[in-house]
Amino acid sequence: MTHSRRRRNRSVGEAGRLPLAIVDGVRLDKSLRDVLLPGRIVYDGEGNARRLPRYFYEIPSWDAAMRVQLSANFGLWEFIQTDVREAAVLRGFPRYVPCAITLLASSLERFREASGTFVHIAANGGYRSPRHAFSQNASPHCWGTAVNIYRVGDVFLDNRQAIERYAMLARQVLPGAWTRPFGGDRGQTDDHLHIDLGFVLSMPRGAPENHLGFSAERRAS
Amino acid sequence: MPAPVDQRTAAPSLDSLEALRLRFDTIERKSGARALAVAVYDTQTGTSFRRNADRWFHAASTIKVAILLGVYASIHHGWLLPQSRLHVRNRFFGAMDGVPFRVLADRDANSEVHASIGKMMRVSELALHMISTSSNLATNLLLDLVGIETVQRSLDELGLDGIDIRRGVEDERAFEVGINNRVTADGLAALLRLIAEERAFTPELSREMLDILHAQEFRNGIPARLPRAVRVAHKTGDISTIAHDAGVVYPQGRRPYVIAVLTEWSPDAAGRAAAIAEVSQAVYDALTAPEEPLRG
Repeated sequence: MTHSRRRRNRSVGEAGRLPLAIVDGVRLDKSLRDVLLPGRIVYDGEGNARRLPRYFYEIPSWDAAMRVQLSANFGLWEFIQTDVREAAVLRGFPRYVPCAITLLASSLERFREASGTFVHIAANGGYRSPRHAFSQNASPHCWGTAVNIYRVGDVFLDNRQAIERYAMLARQVLPGAWTRPFGGDRGQTDDHLHIDLGFVLSMPRGAPENHLGFSAERRAS
Repeated sequence: MPAPVDQRTAAPSLDSLEALRLRFDTIERKSGARALAVAVYDTQTGTSFRRNADRWFHAASTIKVAILLGVYASIHHGWLLPQSRLHVRNRFFGAMDGVPFRVLADRDANSEVHASIGKMMRVSELALHMISTSSNLATNLLLDLVGIETVQRSLDELGLDGIDIRRGVEDERAFEVGINNRVTADGLAALLRLIAEERAFTPELSREMLDILHAQEFRNGIPARLPRAVRVAHKTGDISTIAHDAGVVYPQGRRPYVIAVLTEWSPDAAGRAAAIAEVSQAVYDALTAPEEPLRG
């Protein structure tokens, strides 16, 4: 059942680390680099240059995604549900998700606590690669730092009252977070709540160490 | 002993076709229909019958057969798989001005797709709902995915005239300014013939489309007055002034025939499905009546 959070068999790994390998995107196969665009510059709607994530968690299987718990109430699988509009190579496994996804889950946990009920992430509403058909310009979904919520408890977020109510709550409990305004025009939303933390890059401990272009060993010498 | 009577394998006589034509005139007159168009093609004998078959009608939900073809064109080209998953979202852009609109749940015959909003469904599931229960939400999701251009191009590439797709369903603003999907009886019959003869892309894909059409749940038109053992793969279409049904009929012991019955009515008219059922029965009787035993 989707709503029940089955804690059994869920895993956060030793010392709080996720049981997932962290990979340097620029070292992935070309087919993956072509869709993840690790570390590449893209431009947002205002023409500002934004650098895409370079480090990703590698998800070996759907089963692993189901087992990995990112917060008390959010599993990794909820952030990677993309449809046929996602690049084909990212609809199979292994799949990759930016390391900042953990920060999004933590933030969403706070939002859930404030809501007092289940928070449902829409399909295509978590991480989307830059090659996803919906990824126009620099969307924070490509950073793993934006989420589309279509339902909170029994309330469907498909009208002004519901969307604005929960948008306000999100801004209250997540200082600095941005919510998309209600409306039917470009840049607005009328069938979900979009919350994003901005263009956050995350490099957890355990990430490959030569991210600056030289190794730690050389630096020490 | 009299000679055994087999089901007809030869084309109906000109007399029986004329009798059919007169019977349709009577059905049209007695039912009060504003217009009645019929196209029939019998794959057993090669007989075709046409009455007002090139007249254009608002397509209503019969356009979903063309959208099904567009979906399978995308599968044929490798752009989609039947098991591809699609986000169920109730938000579409109007054909007139791009203003977003939704499919109202209480105007949709299918609730299962609405219950999946926010989640994902497989393309094959949506195709089944689009045809079997005429889900408007499934229709717009699939059309939004493959595009009107893909559907129309598929029709064109297969040489199918008489089907003109211009928008999704429940697009009220487009309807108000006359932007509508249109069909002729000839057009629908030609499309269904292509599928029935397994010439729509590949035999396997044609059979998959037929399977979906066989799952039709609205059976008060073409199948209503046929023997229970007769299978019908079909699609209905019904709005305020329109009632259509088009499909492939499989009588026992012979090859199938294709039939498209298109009708137009005043908004308060009754007996629309009954008229279609009567037309269907007349065609069935004409094509399957035993041949006259040879005399002499």
